[in-house]
Amino acid sequence: MKDPRLIEISVGAFVALGLAALLMLAMKVANLAEFSAPQGYEVRAYFDNIGGLQVRSPVKMGGVVVGRVTAISYDSERYQAKVTLRIERGYDHIPNDTAANIYTAGLLGEQYVGLEAGGEENYLRENSEITITQSAVVLEKAMQEFLYNKTAKSSGPKS
Amino acid sequence: MIELLAKLGRASLGVFERLGRGHLFLLAVLGRLPGLALRPRLLLQQMWSVGVQSLLIIVVSGSFVGMVLGLQGYNTLVTFGAEESLGVVVAKSLLRELGPVIAALLFAGRAGSALTAEIGFMKATEQLSAMEMMAVDPLGRVVAPRFVAGLLSMPLLAAIFTAIGVLGGYFCGVGLLGVDEGAFWSQMQAKVTLVQDVVNGVVIKSLAFGLVVSWIAVFEGYDAVPTSEGVSAATTRTVVHSSLAILGLDFVLTGLMFN
Amino acid sequence: MNTPAPASQPIVRIRDLHFRRGARAIFNGVNLEIPRGKVTAILGPSGTGKTTLLRLIGAQIAPTSGTVEVDGVNVQSLAVKPLYELRKRMGMLFQSGALLTDLTVFENVAFPLREHTDLPASLLRSLVLMKLEMVGLRGARDLYPRELSGGMARRAALARAIALDPSMILYDEPFSGQDPISMGILVRLIRELNDALGLTSVLVSHDVAETSSIADYLFILAGATIVGAGTPAELRESDSPIIRQFMGGLPDGPVPFHFPAPPLLDDLLDAGP
Repeated sequence: MKDPRLIEISVGAFVALGLAALLMLAMKVANLAEFSAPQGYEVRAYFDNIGGLQVRSPVKMGGVVVGRVTAISYDSERYQAKVTLRIERGYDHIPNDTAANIYTAGLLGEQYVGLEAGGEENYLRENSEITITQSAVVLEKAMQEFLYNKTAKSSGPKS
Repeated sequence: MIELLAKLGRASLGVFERLGRGHLFLLAVLGRLPGLALRPRLLLQQMWSVGVQSLLIIVVSGSFVGMVLGLQGYNTLVTFGAEESLGVVVAKSLLRELGPVIAALLFAGRAGSALTAEIGFMKATEQLSAMEMMAVDPLGRVVAPRFVAGLLSMPLLAAIFTAIGVLGGYFCGVGLLGVDEGAFWSQMQAKVTLVQDVVNGVVIKSLAFGLVVSWIAVFEGYDAVPTSEGVSAATTRTVVHSSLAILGLDFVLTGLMFN
Repeated sequence: MNTPAPASQPIVRIRDLHFRRGARAIFNGVNLEIPRGKVTAILGPSGTGKTTLLRLIGAQIAPTSGTVEVDGVNVQSLAVKPLYELRKRMGMLFQSGALLTDLTVFENVAFPLREHTDLPASLLRSLVLMKLEMVGLRGARDLYPRELSGGMARRAALARAIALDPSMILYDEPFSGQDPISMGILVRLIRELNDALGLTSVLVSHDVAETSSIADYLFILAGATIVGAGTPAELRESDSPIIRQFMGGLPDGPVPFHFPAPPLLDDLLDAGP
């Protein structure tokens, strides 16, 4: 039999290593720290079409991540998609008339909610609603419009 | 024709018999767990030979698998101009599938076969019988500590494999191929979730694999025909059956978890 | 159960024992009584289930029918706990020795003590060394089983079998595969341990000469039943052909040379497909 002390030490180190690896996966890879304690406040926004927006998609202002999408549902009374955004603590001076748009990062990248600050004196609080929204640009629609315009233009002078 | 049917019937009866024996055996082993709790030293000894001894192969394979993922992922993603997503690809594929599955396959080959061979050899050389005659229960003294050690080591090994793999992918993607470091980590952190990916993938899957592999390994050893051919056949069966069980179970678990 | 039965009462009593493995009857109505404090040998040709008999006495397997009583208790009726208590008072020496291969000789002998007692380390050490001294292996205590010769392994296993001071030891083929010197050592050891420790020894063997030299009482097992019983001297005088064949070591006789088979001519004419 091997020296029992050596066995104890190596098993201890093994278990510690395993737990450290798990911790690293939780903290560094899944970024547990960020949503461990929900802080900040939640606001609502209604969109006609959210495209490929998902829960945990980022919310950005001026390119800076200020929050995340926490819930998406369909409001069957307004016939619109209801998106709940959690704005991180510290960003509590966002004007009430701020506009929310759904953008795509790059041509095929992920979608995010972009906020553009308005000019009001009142600020968004817990459960406020962002009223000025613009839906996601759906690629198929955009292309259809583009092609339609193109054909309209090219056939226009002839008629 | 009748003969064929008879053969088929006999074979399936044999399968059911083994299946039944395997489950009764598992119950018997589980019944020994309270006794094992009183003797942690036995477990420690087996954690050493099952877990610590498997560490090297897990670390080396993990880093290679991670690096290959980094290379291949980069080559695919760069054609779409989406190489910033490399971190997501590496982390998700490792956490959900490759980490637990490959770690379990390696574990079956490295530790499972050793468990079967060890217990089978003890049976073949009458060591288990001798224990019984010394009023020592071999299920509690020999089988239960090995089973639990396998069960506990598996998630730890899978976590180590996955973490090393992510670092390997990072090394390849960021270190060698020039993916932006910030994008690598931040995209990963934005897309990987704790419950869906880390807990479901690494923890639950590998616990299930650990249970199945350890169970098959100790059962095959305990049930081996007590000759050298019998033990070697049992060892082969352990590796084959556990590998198939891992892959099959992975499909089922993936279906349940990620739908 | 803890009050020892009177010395006159047999320690093992087997009544009408039947045991079959598959279609083959290993025992067909075996009756025997093993007297206390004596060396009793069960002799029989290879393959007559002598080892099986020892396993039945140790209740490792169950008979098809019939009873095995040890110290007046039917071993099959015992639950796990009392059975283990009974086994602590029974030592068994396996044919291969069956030492635990990952432990040293010392640890092997200490194994049953560590499992069943809470002795302080110093007392445990002295006990183990005393047992090893009895079998002459005190100097080999740090060796692993793989480093021992066959005879030494058997002696180490014997030291382990007496570690818990049992009242009975079962020997499975203690002499097979031993050179004359270690055979002589084992013969002497079995006799000495029996007399010095007041044990009952039961040994199964096919070595007629060695066994008759130490046994007080012999049973001869053939054809799934007991065919002869008595002291070695009585059996040597017997005129039963089967006993004569066995005691004299004749190749053919009532115990046939051939394994049961259809007539040779039929087999030869039966051209396979």
